[in-house]
Amino acid sequence: MKKESNTVQPSATPVRSAPGVLKNPYIRYILFGVVICLLPLLANSGIMPSSFVVNLGSVLIYSIVALGLNLLLGYSGLISLGTAGFMGLGAYISGYLTDSVGTPFIVALLVAVIIAAFIGVLVGFVSLRVAGIYLAIATLCVSEILRKTFEELDQFTNGFSGLTASYPKLFGVSLSREMTFVLLAVVLVLVMMLTHNLVNGQMGRALHAMRGSEVAAQAMGIYLLKYRLIVFAIATAYAALGGALYMHFVKFSYPSIWTMMLSLNILAVVVIGGLRSIYGTVIGALIVFAVPDLLLKRIPVIGKIDGIAYIFTGVLIILVVMFYPNGVVGLCNDIKKLFTRGKKKGGASDV
Amino acid sequence: MSKTHRAANTLPDQQALSITDLSIQFGGLKAVEGLSFYVKEKEIFGLIGPNGAGKTTAFNCITQFYHPDRGEVLFRCKNGDVVDLVGHPVHEIIRLGLVRTFQNVEVIKELSLIDNVLIGAHTDFKATIFEQALRLPRARREEREMRAKAEQALDFLGIADLKDTLAGGQPYGVLKKVEIARTLMCNPKLIILDEPAAGLNDSETAELAETIRQVRDVYHCTILLVEHDMRLVMNICDRICAISFGQFLACGTPEEIQKDKLVQEAYLGEEEPE
Repeated sequence: MKKESNTVQPSATPVRSAPGVLKNPYIRYILFGVVICLLPLLANSGIMPSSFVVNLGSVLIYSIVALGLNLLLGYSGLISLGTAGFMGLGAYISGYLTDSVGTPFIVALLVAVIIAAFIGVLVGFVSLRVAGIYLAIATLCVSEILRKTFEELDQFTNGFSGLTASYPKLFGVSLSREMTFVLLAVVLVLVMMLTHNLVNGQMGRALHAMRGSEVAAQAMGIYLLKYRLIVFAIATAYAALGGALYMHFVKFSYPSIWTMMLSLNILAVVVIGGLRSIYGTVIGALIVFAVPDLLLKRIPVIGKIDGIAYIFTGVLIILVVMFYPNGVVGLCNDIKKLFTRGKKKGGASDV
Repeated sequence: MSKTHRAANTLPDQQALSITDLSIQFGGLKAVEGLSFYVKEKEIFGLIGPNGAGKTTAFNCITQFYHPDRGEVLFRCKNGDVVDLVGHPVHEIIRLGLVRTFQNVEVIKELSLIDNVLIGAHTDFKATIFEQALRLPRARREEREMRAKAEQALDFLGIADLKDTLAGGQPYGVLKKVEIARTLMCNPKLIILDEPAAGLNDSETAELAETIRQVRDVYHCTILLVEHDMRLVMNICDRICAISFGQFLACGTPEEIQKDKLVQEAYLGEEEPE
């Protein structure tokens, strides 16, 4: 199959112990997807509560969205606080199209993604003029405008009462909750592969160069405007894709879901999980969106504190930024190193 | 300004770059004023001057980071056409065959050395974003070919064994070489080196001089050196242009420049009248 990418990821150590097949990144992504697909069995067998599937499904959705933000923030060094707005846009478009117009699920998904990508391109134009904190404010404004639109355009969005949708119908078959979960896993794995291809090729290098120095990037022939527009389009497309999947998995959407809090949480996913790390993004999503609900809320006393999730995320961001600026992935690599060192020592003593 | 319109320019056969009456002004400050010189093909040409002489400004005008107020920058491109660079977008310059390095090396710390070098091949990739995203045959082939070429360039500079290590944490000398390797990726006609010896010690500078000569001989390109380090300049340049306060002082071989009264005054101050 495809033999590529001996690119060194920041702080990534080569997996020496893995057998040949596992060295292929695509096979690893697929295996990763298979493992995710098996997780609902935990709930079915009673080890985890049945809400576990919904929690985990949201993690997959937020992973897709956060991968887009990682392209912006991690690779290109551009910040966006508009993620939630674009997610909401995707959710409403696809929800409205499937339930009110009767468009097939796939078509609705594509329309949602394309419209969002188009708006993303417009934001990309803005990003050429403003940078840093001002770009954050500009994208936040776009997001808030979108949210306000969701509230006001009630013939499409049903306003504050919210829009409901059903599980997706694929090729005439209505999917169950578990099947939708599998669909999410498949989409996530595809998005991870696409992202992997993009960041390890010419475009990824161009984004790196752009983050490093705009002047040097231009001298290397990189047209800043083009890559700004592309990366914003991809990031918003991922967000809309996530939003549309959310609509058909969680099955409802209110304007109050798509607030700045959500954008900040997705930013936290990228920072905690690891800038410029694909697996790190998924780990980050798991930490930010699943750990508070699945673990913290079960702990007595602490679980009762209002907004424990935010406290948890906030403390974690501080810890990560202080000790692992490249995210939790850095911690994982350190643990891996500890193990391989232990193995080597063990091997040596055997001899 | 279209390239076709500009293609009518002419340069004498042996010249690679010719600058005529280049002027740029920032506010009231005339950073470069009426500067003219030419660089011959396959030549190592030095642009020198005391601090603040306008060397970097002049060369930013050549590479179109600044747009000069006046003047012409004629350049013989890869395809043999002579174009006036003035007015071309910055990111187009490298396509024509002119590439530059930076005074404070601009490498990406988070990328491996070979990936840094591959950034230099950016304009040679023809595969679209979709082809890259799906790793279609053309994207894979290009990536493979460019990677081989980048390995050659690293090998040429003697750092091929470091190719998969991250650029962050590498010594300055290695990063300088990565930057030079990166310029070689685009098959340049003319390489502009911005103070390549800055931050290098004596032995590294000597090695750099040898490297620059080899680049010229092996890759058949012209080299324009903007430099502070007099030993390097006098050692390797075929001809030198000296400027001071944005104005032309002298142009000639290293010996001629060393003997030139105006240059001596600019560097050492005027002689006391006896």
